[in-house]
Amino acid sequence: MRQETIRRLFSLALLFTLIIIFGTTSKYFLTPNNIFTLLREAAVTGILAVGVTFVIITAGIDLSTGALVALIAMICARLLYSTTLSVPVILLIGAIIGILAGSLNGFLVAKLKLPDFIATLSTQGIFRGLTLVFAIREHGVISNKVIQNPAFIILGGHINGLYLATIAFIIIAVIGQFILRETRFGIYTYAVGANLKSANLSGINSDRVKIMVYTISGLCCAIGAFFLAAKMQSATPEMGIGLEFDVIAAVVVGGCSFSGGRGDVFGSVIGTLFMAVLTNGLYKYNFPAAYQIIIKGLVIVVMVIFDSMYQKFMEARTTKAKKLEDMYAQGNGPETGVAQ
Amino acid sequence: MNNDILLSARDIEKSFSGVKVLKKVNLEIRRGEVHALIGENGAGKSTLVKILTGAYQKDAGIIRYNDTEVELNSRHDAIKLGISVIYQELSLIPTLTVTQNIFLGREKDTAGILNKKSMRKKVIEIMDYYGLSVDPDAIVETLSIAQRQIVEILKALTFESSLIIMDEPTASLSSKEAESLFNIINNLKQKNVSILYISHRLEEIYRLADRITILRDGKNIAVLEKGQTNPTDVIRFMIGKELADTSGLGRMRRNDKNVVLKVNKLSCKGVFADISFEVHEGEVLGIGGLVGSGRTEVLHSIYGAKKYDSGEILFNGKPLPSSIIKNIRAGIAMIPEDRRNQGLIPLLDITRNIAAPNYDRLSGRNIWVKAKEELAFCKEAILQLDIRPNNPEIQVMNLSGGNQQKVVVGKWLMRNLKLLLVDEPTAGIDIGVKEEIYNIIEDLASKGVAVIVVSSDLKELLRVSHRIIVLRNGRIIKEFNDGFVSQEDVLKAASGITREEAEQFEQ
Amino acid sequence: MNNRQIIKRFQRPLILLILMLILTILQPRIFPTASNFKSILLAISIYGVMICGAIYPVLLGGIDLSVGAVAALSGACTVLTIVNGGYSNASVIEGVTIGLCAGVMVGLAHGIIITNFRVPPFLITLASMNIVYGITQLLTNNLVISCLKPKSFTFIGGGRLLGIPFPIYIFLSMALVSYLILNKTIFGRSVYCVGGNPVASVLSGISSKKITVASYIFSGFTAALAGIILASMNQQAIAKAAQGYENDVLTAIVVGGTSLMGGEGSIQGSVFGALLVGLLNNGLRLMGVPSIYHTVIKGAIIIAAVAFDIYSRNKNSGLVKFKKSAARIGKA
Repeated sequence: MRQETIRRLFSLALLFTLIIIFGTTSKYFLTPNNIFTLLREAAVTGILAVGVTFVIITAGIDLSTGALVALIAMICARLLYSTTLSVPVILLIGAIIGILAGSLNGFLVAKLKLPDFIATLSTQGIFRGLTLVFAIREHGVISNKVIQNPAFIILGGHINGLYLATIAFIIIAVIGQFILRETRFGIYTYAVGANLKSANLSGINSDRVKIMVYTISGLCCAIGAFFLAAKMQSATPEMGIGLEFDVIAAVVVGGCSFSGGRGDVFGSVIGTLFMAVLTNGLYKYNFPAAYQIIIKGLVIVVMVIFDSMYQKFMEARTTKAKKLEDMYAQGNGPETGVAQ
Repeated sequence: MNNDILLSARDIEKSFSGVKVLKKVNLEIRRGEVHALIGENGAGKSTLVKILTGAYQKDAGIIRYNDTEVELNSRHDAIKLGISVIYQELSLIPTLTVTQNIFLGREKDTAGILNKKSMRKKVIEIMDYYGLSVDPDAIVETLSIAQRQIVEILKALTFESSLIIMDEPTASLSSKEAESLFNIINNLKQKNVSILYISHRLEEIYRLADRITILRDGKNIAVLEKGQTNPTDVIRFMIGKELADTSGLGRMRRNDKNVVLKVNKLSCKGVFADISFEVHEGEVLGIGGLVGSGRTEVLHSIYGAKKYDSGEILFNGKPLPSSIIKNIRAGIAMIPEDRRNQGLIPLLDITRNIAAPNYDRLSGRNIWVKAKEELAFCKEAILQLDIRPNNPEIQVMNLSGGNQQKVVVGKWLMRNLKLLLVDEPTAGIDIGVKEEIYNIIEDLASKGVAVIVVSSDLKELLRVSHRIIVLRNGRIIKEFNDGFVSQEDVLKAASGITREEAEQFEQ
Repeated sequence: MNNRQIIKRFQRPLILLILMLILTILQPRIFPTASNFKSILLAISIYGVMICGAIYPVLLGGIDLSVGAVAALSGACTVLTIVNGGYSNASVIEGVTIGLCAGVMVGLAHGIIITNFRVPPFLITLASMNIVYGITQLLTNNLVISCLKPKSFTFIGGGRLLGIPFPIYIFLSMALVSYLILNKTIFGRSVYCVGGNPVASVLSGISSKKITVASYIFSGFTAALAGIILASMNQQAIAKAAQGYENDVLTAIVVGGTSLMGGEGSIQGSVFGALLVGLLNNGLRLMGVPSIYHTVIKGAIIIAAVAFDIYSRNKNSGLVKFKKSAARIGKA
């Protein structure tokens, strides 16, 4: 059986174990209502995860997604509140901001060669700060205005229980998977992540690929922001805090590796559902929010360790001739692995 | 007239920072022939190959391809003409499929969307035509090294290459895998693809090559037709000495002092097997063999830097733990092959580098560094080894290669050594400094230190060794412990033609 | 020492001086006062203490992003122990010990995971930041737990000695300790070795695993100490106590010339970085720049500092390449 298939089955096994646990112990869990809500909750994380999947396949990371969602949502809310622009125009502006912010990340990583986590951690701060700048104020105090524009709120609606956000998530995931597996750019994304040197030697412009993946992530943030703002019917400076974390957890559960070149969007969809089921289940059992934070953190730690062991196992199986460096590198943690 | 000549390179010259590496070298490859390019390390083979593939630009000379004069300014130029290289370290993307790798960078697509079927069809077509076989949908990382080589060859063939350059292709193949590679090469030859085959393994060259070009010190020495010559001649051409010439011979001698290190049936699966030898006090044991023959790995296993599967290593009669720290305390030291990445900490100054393994002596059990002693220690080493510049505060990354190597040596000099392991002591070092390093090794040996030297430089091996063992494919193939030994003898053993075989051949 | 090194040595005090001069000119009545300087020092003393330990993982080429969360955890542990112990002096000792132990345990966990698995340190410490934050929330029940006595506790963060706030003493003495460890001990030497080239260090008999684990432990320890000072200063424990401090710590370290690639950097530099960030915060506040812009400005500073570091590294190595190719071209 192919390695990818094994990894995919592992993610699915995790998801179904969780579904079975919650499904058998809670009678509310498997009701259609709950499933629709769960899928709606999953949608925003999932849309972001599609973009971040591209980034992580190139061996990068995007920590700015949560803050960018807040920034774009805030700008949209602000425009809805204080201008008479039509909704499509506002969405277009939001998308453009997402693209610009994403390409800024890409520029920092690809052209200025900043370590990806530093670059996106810094832009996270910048985006979060700008969110405050754009916040609507009354008498100097930030007031979270309710978005009342009906054309915008439609985005938060549903068709027979299936929320538009969920539908958008499905569409974006399919498009993402198609780009990744069926286009030239998709192949280049894997090539850049798995073997940068060879990719460059094959005539691939790896800087452009890197900028593109961060841009895709930025655009996904914009789309996620629309649906989040429409669902909440407002935008607050605190929205999306820690969202990047859910997204990263979803992507690693789905089989993307931080050393790059592995994983795909469908894996991340499974990961997203896993995280959504987990959140939903913990909520149903009235666990304090603190447990959610702890468990999400643990999921990342465990999955990253699993990933490292899995990589080692794969290497031992496939290549006998390992480089000397690798032999010593085992356990000499200080290499960040990303900062190369 | 030249219709059967595919590539001809005339009077190629190339120098690096004033040093001439290629001096009017000629190379001529016919259509559909396997042409071997051989020479010792540093003879200029790889420079010539890099010029042919556009990685370097020649300083002077003319390259004609298909009877037209060509300029090769980039890798792309070479590929466009139909020249492809298959390098030792394979350049595939491990997580992509065979087909995706073959077409990487020049996919067939419409508006960015891949035309997978047509690419797959093309791969199968080419495989059928040239008699190759590998699953076009397999993920590359699941393939063996031999299969990956086939993918590289396929990649070259989809470029419609008429010349494929293979650089030590059998270095990491088993003999069975090598055999199937030879079949592939024969198939390619029949389909009129030319192969430029670079290898140290003379037996392979003898089997495969139609003609052989021999380089030595950046000059053409000979172009030999198949059947025109025998392996002994080839080796003579490579080394450049007549058999009667005794200068540069190594005099082997045994020594009856205490055994410092005894290695017994040491084995590591897939790397080396059944390695047994002894080193005595004050003896320099040379280990010869081609790159990839397992020499370095044996050294690392002794040092405790690499695990082995079975066998034992006795140091002064006691088993040696596989812990670098304990071994260093016991008086063992290693000068690794890759100075920059394994020997030095480039950002730190000379003092810190030299002091790194010596704090147990400089400060004992104290946690504090005794800075004065540290500096004095370093100054002593600088003086003793004549490291230049002699400023202990200079970052080692700013030193020349020779002085960097002296710093690596300096780390161990004050340690009351019992056993010194040296891997390629003078790679990339000026001749003057080389001699200094040899003197240090000899000096240590005369003080009773047992030394093991691994080297690809035959002159060096003969110069410093008291005894020599030669490794081939991870096994000891030959030991020289008596009388005079020439470079030829070592090279024959290392490259797979023993004296007996050679004589057989001559008959 | 060549000219460039001399310039390098004095450029930092010069930058501080120029910045102070500018602020003095802009705000002559508020900025150059003893009380303002005291408040600057007090403000940086918390993350200054964190820096003293957090620089070690960075020198190894890793990073510890959990320092803020660890500080909150240790503050909560200390305060809870004191409250449960009836505000006795013995409970203060007990509380501080437990707080510090909590930090050490988190650091130990980081060290073990990072040395035994090939995982990016930023991700592990980022995940543990969340885990620790969650644990602190559970401990405090997500409430503000105030602790106004005993004096022995409130003195740590709020007391004065010779008119100077006590946390400043702690900061300066930690900086001294950290400086001594880094520059005068074998451990410090080993940190630079492992950060500069882990393979060569292992082959030279340096146990890079032990060094790495110890570094993350020390980082956890100083974060915990900072957390205790903060809790004492605010006379309360809260899960959100030191949120975002990792950004100030990171900014100060990076601005202070410590390379994120490892092997290069110093405590002096980081203290300078801390002073710079402190002055900047103070200046922005005095100039009336709304605090909402601060994160934006700090983000930009980190990007600029790291970009500069990477640019100068590339320029150094690029120079060699350039010379080689120039020689090649020259011959043609």
